[in-house]
Amino acid sequence: MMPVRLGPLLLAHPIINASGTMEILDLAEVLGPDVLSVPPVAAYVPKTITMDARTGNPAPRILETPGGMINAIGLEGEGLKGFVADRLPRLLALPCPLIISIGGFSLDEYVGLAAGLREALEAALGDGWTAKAGLELNISCPNVHSGCVSIGSNPAETELVVGAVRKIWPGLLIAKLTPNVTDITAIARAAEAAGADAVAAVNTYKGLVIDRKTLRPYLGNVTGGLSGPAIKPLALRAVYELYETVGIPIVGMGGVATARDVLEFMACGAAAVAVGSAAFRDPSVGASLAVDLWDELTARGTSVADVVGVAHRPV
Amino acid sequence: MAGGAPAVWPPVAGAGAGGAFAARCLGAVVENRSLGSLVWLTLEVPGWPGAVPGQFAMLQARDSGCFLGRPLSVSAQYGEVVSFMIAPIGEGTRELCALSVGEQVWVLGPLGNGFDLDLLTAGPGRTVLVGGGVGAAPFPLLLSALAARYQQTPPPADAPKPEVLVLLGFRDASQACGAGPLAGAAEELEAAGVSCPGEVATEDGSIGRPERVTETMWRQVRPGDRLAVCGPWPMIEGVAKVCACIPDVQVWYSLEAGMACGVGSCHGCVVTLADGSRARVCREGPVFSSAALFDRGCFDAPAGGAS
Ligand SMILES: Cc1cc2nc3c(=O)[nH]c(=O)nc-3n(C[C@H](O)[C@H](O)[C@H](O)COP(=O)(O)OP(=O)(O)OC[C@H]3O[C@@H](n4cnc5c(N)ncnc54)[C@H](O)[C@@H]3O)c2cc1C
Ligand SMILES: Cc1cc2nc3c(=O)[nH]c(=O)nc-3n(C[C@H](O)[C@H](O)[C@H](O)COP(=O)(O)O)c2cc1C
Ligand code: FES
Repeated sequence: MMPVRLGPLLLAHPIINASGTMEILDLAEVLGPDVLSVPPVAAYVPKTITMDARTGNPAPRILETPGGMINAIGLEGEGLKGFVADRLPRLLALPCPLIISIGGFSLDEYVGLAAGLREALEAALGDGWTAKAGLELNISCPNVHSGCVSIGSNPAETELVVGAVRKIWPGLLIAKLTPNVTDITAIARAAEAAGADAVAAVNTYKGLVIDRKTLRPYLGNVTGGLSGPAIKPLALRAVYELYETVGIPIVGMGGVATARDVLEFMACGAAAVAVGSAAFRDPSVGASLAVDLWDELTARGTSVADVVGVAHRPV
Repeated sequence: MAGGAPAVWPPVAGAGAGGAFAARCLGAVVENRSLGSLVWLTLEVPGWPGAVPGQFAMLQARDSGCFLGRPLSVSAQYGEVVSFMIAPIGEGTRELCALSVGEQVWVLGPLGNGFDLDLLTAGPGRTVLVGGGVGAAPFPLLLSALAARYQQTPPPADAPKPEVLVLLGFRDASQACGAGPLAGAAEELEAAGVSCPGEVATEDGSIGRPERVTETMWRQVRPGDRLAVCGPWPMIEGVAKVCACIPDVQVWYSLEAGMACGVGSCHGCVVTLADGSRARVCREGPVFSSAALFDRGCFDAPAGGAS
């Protein structure tokens, strides 16, 4: 009733986390190690990894907005080497699959990141690694000023990057799409044509907040990405249109906070659903969503497989 | 219902209440007392594990119009009864300050590192607490913890009587009511054989000296003192400038920052450290040493600086 297949990965239920919204190793230190033995999500997605270490954007980086928040973190992180040496071994010990998000500033960086991760995974797990770890191509971060989102805004470049990674990555390959384009379905079609196993939608909506004292942009990066319940109807529409366009599974996200939200994304066509900002106020929300979804499906006498895409069929 | 989940799905114990691991839990208001323009909010928090002074919790009224919790320092705790001192400055804090007895609050915590009592008491001089406005919030708990510590390990009889000095700066008399909750803890210290003098200043002079707490510091802080400082960023900078001019003082600052998660997940609360790296105030902080925060362990005194 609940398991979901994404490429070679088997998820125990359809709820995963959105990249950049859950540092599970920090949670284990802050809230206790149970979070590692019983993760609140069916697959863990770390924050986007970049080739080089990055300090990210200047403060302030976040602000609550009506029904959500805006952020401009700027892909802060330790870079591929640090990730592989320090965090990857600990994340591979999780009892659930890992979907590693990578972000590049050029085609070469995406390929280099994928190659580096493949090498590390083969060394750690041998041939069976594709059943444990997948890749999400973040071609959609709105908070960096080159690469990434500019690639994901252009169907031809998307096809190039996804195709190049596909050649060297036999595991699950997801393209995470930006909604900040005229036609998200054109990008998704390009990703599918280039061999992506799934698309994830949506990343944040580019926005701006004004400092009420100075009347200047509030965020250090000037613009940021909007997330949370405020964007849910926009994200639902994106998933709905994607379902009518591509044949590969869709990982839906954008404002998920309750099991009803999860059902809505599934109805629009999401095979799996990611929770992002809502995990900031409750780090265990993924676990409650899974249980509540189970209850909801049971009460309706239906299953995940029956719900996915149901919004496209007559009542 | 959760018991019927498929076997491949890891068991989620008590999942309806938020999952297998202890994330946030619902506390209930047992007291809401106004302290001038501030509010002393006391909650009963089931399973509260106890906070180190300087730690905080993310609080969100159960029926909240806000999306996220708000970071608030733990001001006092007796078992599962936990108090917060809150300045109602925006929607989130106003909601919390308006709660009545019996109403519920989501609590995620305790979080962050807190003050290191060993370091604060290890100097040749005194322990000095410097608070600006609602920055006094962590001090009742800090004073109680110091008192408990001196009670457990009394100072040698032949040593000079230890001293914990409290310097507080407020905007006005109404905000200065925030000094009230420190009185009980100061008595605990006196009972433990530690003198605990204090001075309050207000910017408008409506109570105490008409000055900023940094000016009080010029008079009071001496070489050898160890300082715990909490307040808004402009005050932190002011304190750092003073401390740069006094030899052999060591300072630990508790910083404020906008936070979404409080647990290290969002990377939204960063501060830039002296070495150029960035640290999360909620995870690596909120307490940072002056050496970590400011170049050469101190702030450059302004050209022709006050001295
Ligand atoms: C570790 C820690 C401990 C703390 N402890 C305490 C405590 O014990 N007691 C206490 O009262 N406070 C404490 N604070 C501060 C407290 O968290 C904030 O006051 C609270 O989050 C404010 O939330 P709000 O919804 O009331 O206000 P908000 O409306 O969220 O405003 C929060 C801050 O953001 C600014 N802001 C919001 N929107 C804008 C905008 N558009 N332009 C410019 N500025 C904007 C506001 O000026 C304000 O300073 C602590 C903070 C931290 C990090
Ligand atoms: C603070 C923050 C950081 C994020 N970092 C990343 C990231 O590193 N990589 C990425 O692909 N998406 C990132 N996102 C986008 C989320 O993964 C998600 O797509 C988006 O927030 C919408 O979901 P939500 O409304 O549930 O948060 C971030 C979002 C937030 C709020
Ligand atoms: S508040 Fe999210 S990382 Fe500190």
